[in-house]
Amino acid sequence: MIKNYIKVAWRNFLKNKGYSAINIAGLAVGMAVALLIGLWVFNEYSYDRFLPNADRLYQVKMNLTSQHAGTFTQNALALPLADVLRQDYPEFEYVAEATWSGTRGLVVGDKKLYIDGSTVGPHFLKMFQFPLIKGNGNDVFKDPLSIVLTASTAKALFNDADPIGKIVKIDNLNNVKVAGVLKDLPENSSLQFNYLLPFSYNEHTPYWEKSARSNWGNKSYKVYAMLKPGATYAQVAAKIKPVVYNHAEVMRPAKPEVIMQPIKDWHLYSEYENGVPVGGFIDYVRMFSIIGVLVLLIACINFMNLSTARSEKRAREVGVRKAMGSLKRELVFQFLTESVLVAILSFCLAVIMVQLALPSFNQLTGKSISVPYTNPMFWVVMASYVLFTGLLAGSRPAFYLSSFNTVKVLKGTMVIGKAASLPRKVLVVAQFACSVALIISTVIIYQQIQHAKNRPIGYDINRLVMSDMSDDLNKNYDALKNEMLQTGLINNVAYASSPVTNVYQHTTVFDWPQKNAGEEALNTATVRVSDNYFKTSGMQLLQGHDFSSSWQQDTSRVLINEAAVKRMGLKKPLGQKIKWNGGPEAGVEVIGVVKDALMDSPFIPVEATIFSHGSMGNVAVYNLKANADVQTSIKKIGQIFDKYNPAYPFSYRFADDAYAEKFNLEVLVGKLAGVFATLAIFISCLGLFGLAAYVAEQRTKEIGIRKVLGASIAQVWLLLSTDFVVLVLISCLLASPVAYYFLHGWLLKYQYRISIEPEVFIATAIAAVAITLLTISFQAIKAALTNPVKSLRSE
Amino acid sequence: MIKITDLEKFYRTEEVETIALNKLSIDIKEGEFVAIMGPSGCGKSTLLNILGLLDDPDGGSYLFNGTEVAHFNERKRADLRKHNIGFVFQSFNLIDELTVFENVELPLIYTGVPASERVARVEKVLDKMQIMHRRNHYPQQLSGGQQQRVAVARAVVNNPKIILADEPTGNLDSSNGNEVMELLTDLNEQGTTIIMVTHSEHDARYSHRIIRLLDGQTVMENIMI
Repeated sequence: MIKNYIKVAWRNFLKNKGYSAINIAGLAVGMAVALLIGLWVFNEYSYDRFLPNADRLYQVKMNLTSQHAGTFTQNALALPLADVLRQDYPEFEYVAEATWSGTRGLVVGDKKLYIDGSTVGPHFLKMFQFPLIKGNGNDVFKDPLSIVLTASTAKALFNDADPIGKIVKIDNLNNVKVAGVLKDLPENSSLQFNYLLPFSYNEHTPYWEKSARSNWGNKSYKVYAMLKPGATYAQVAAKIKPVVYNHAEVMRPAKPEVIMQPIKDWHLYSEYENGVPVGGFIDYVRMFSIIGVLVLLIACINFMNLSTARSEKRAREVGVRKAMGSLKRELVFQFLTESVLVAILSFCLAVIMVQLALPSFNQLTGKSISVPYTNPMFWVVMASYVLFTGLLAGSRPAFYLSSFNTVKVLKGTMVIGKAASLPRKVLVVAQFACSVALIISTVIIYQQIQHAKNRPIGYDINRLVMSDMSDDLNKNYDALKNEMLQTGLINNVAYASSPVTNVYQHTTVFDWPQKNAGEEALNTATVRVSDNYFKTSGMQLLQGHDFSSSWQQDTSRVLINEAAVKRMGLKKPLGQKIKWNGGPEAGVEVIGVVKDALMDSPFIPVEATIFSHGSMGNVAVYNLKANADVQTSIKKIGQIFDKYNPAYPFSYRFADDAYAEKFNLEVLVGKLAGVFATLAIFISCLGLFGLAAYVAEQRTKEIGIRKVLGASIAQVWLLLSTDFVVLVLISCLLASPVAYYFLHGWLLKYQYRISIEPEVFIATAIAAVAITLLTISFQAIKAALTNPVKSLRSE
Repeated sequence: MIKITDLEKFYRTEEVETIALNKLSIDIKEGEFVAIMGPSGCGKSTLLNILGLLDDPDGGSYLFNGTEVAHFNERKRADLRKHNIGFVFQSFNLIDELTVFENVELPLIYTGVPASERVARVEKVLDKMQIMHRRNHYPQQLSGGQQQRVAVARAVVNNPKIILADEPTGNLDSSNGNEVMELLTDLNEQGTTIIMVTHSEHDARYSHRIIRLLDGQTVMENIMI
């Protein structure tokens, strides 16, 4: 029987090539979009789960509560916490501390790399079992002067030679021995590094704070923990919560609570509110999952509408089969078989589309997603997907067609299409509502990005360059600066503790003149700068003056920004003394006020910031002259850097590039939403095109009569177009409040955000109507131009 | 074989109730060839649809081989229909996407006849209808007469006890019409009961008995000698 169904289905496809092509193409695009999004979602969910023992791995965090900021969660912890967890809580199998990822210079002979890595506790690789391709897992961190490299790093330093036991110079400071080589980390690992040094290595560096091991106030480290088999977080959560409170009196005002986050949540649930994870990237995963489902739904609705619209062609067959003795359920099965067949053909086309689209998609998203053809589970899932799509798309036509009255269809007295008209209209409205909602979303996302991009930055980002500073460069800073200025290619040079597009450090101002009794201390962004920093970066001094070049590191004076002045309520900030844990106990004098500058996220208000005078910096900042050729300038400056910093390769970044990266996620979301909105509209229009053809065909006699009676082409065009335009307008009316609700919620994430204006909805409605008219006009005009003699003769 | 007693069928709209069959009673014996005639709207097609279990009556009794079938559910009706009744329609009602062979094969598929047996039976019937040479053609490639012969072949392939023909020559010229009537007569002579609705007095003469209906009731019965 199935053979008979397939035969009839195939012959129907061939008989109605146009409609079959529309059905298959529309469904294929919908399935391709859903498949692509599905692969991406799968990739996002796969983060970190590949690690053995992933179900027992956690990052330790801490909730702190302040009057002004409420409860916030931070990853930066004190080393004593790691020791206490390790020693006092038998539920943990391992606890490992780690420094934040930092850039170091690695030199082997004439090979120089300046790459990211961390120092980690001795059990780190027992917890995070990245495959070790060389070296002994139990020994790798025994020697403080050892290093574990990733395979790519080893290759870059040693080519194909065996690196084990060989020496690498770190930061032009220490020689370390290669103790192991790890397989390169997969892309779906939250932990990314090029090398690992043992945590004990820190003690061999000049910047190691000796008291760190016992200082609960020095919250500069990460802590990871692995539970023993059988132990659960629920068992240990209540026990570890008060650890910091109990041990660190200095922290008690902030009511610290220790919590842990399982590794499977790191990638998707990075945002915390009031001490609990509320979301993060998962919001985007959910958003695109919904988009994928919507686009597939739009494609299925197309199929439903076109199939039911053309049901008249199948009516007689239904009547005959019923007369032959077919039950309704057998007919339902027949039509579902046909729709599954369409789904199979569409799926084949969809896979080709996905394969073709993947390179561009990967480039856009920065991923390396591929279709896992060799994974049997993929095919099982795809078979279910095809079956589901076929059944969903075919459900309405199958039940509709199989319920035809046998007598009426055989007699030819059944008027098909009228009863189906209302459901068809509802489906068209639903389809276009989804598409319109997507278009509105794309526009709003774009507006939000532009709004943030157009925000005054507060410094001169053009031709501003940043280069990492090593110890050697700091030692030779004056000579470096002079030589750079002598090239005539740059205007100014300065240095800072963080790039102008980022803030690395936060400290606390705990007393100031207008501070109320009981008022909380102020958490401030902190940047240590050289003299001339503000002139170099283009930050505007509103009051007071810069640090003097004649001063050696002056820790008694600071500049603050407008946000800090406002936050502290300083009426006349110049000359005021504020007490700050980055300066002397007696306090520091405010010598200047800087106009607010966007140094962190462009989506949040500018933080209160303190600029202190630093004796050395992590980043050199310099601006190229307007007439200086960029490539030549960078090359020349690089040579100067190399001269004073032979142990490190020269690195540089343009501030405008670094700033643009802050929008990467939003730009990506906007682009993807735009692409999917376009595809959704395309599919909807495909369906509309088919429906318009059907309607025109149905009304052939009516159009013929109207033309005989004197209707013009424009009047016939209007007659056929009006219904569809009305449906699209209804879609816009339904989609707009729904889109507003969700977009309003999305915008609330951003403190610096647009307000949604009605013009967006009006413009989208106009665009939707225009697209609709464009789509159906071909069929409408074709019908309008038909010779009425022909159309009436056929009746 | 067929006994209907006080059969009633109404068609209701919001404003009007039409009585299609008004306490109609008819007996049809096995092997009879009965023609049902009457003006348009007299209820003859309604009667045929009920006899063919395509529709159910609103009142009365319908005994098919002694079994009351008037209010059978869809499943039972379909089952009875596919094993016992063949249909021949005025507009042939062949499935355009199937070849002649496949159209005739369709009832056998619904009755679960194995594939090998189906081939033999279809070929036998096509041969009998002298349409074997067009077995791989599609209906739109055939003339009206050929299409109706295929329809008759489809109606008889399952060896039904009864054939219901609704104006079988209505869309044919006289020559093809006569051919079809000859086929039906042959089938009847081989024992198949035939009930035919027709407007044509000429076609009615092939039957053993003519039942004339008016306003849903029998007004006359003629026995044809």
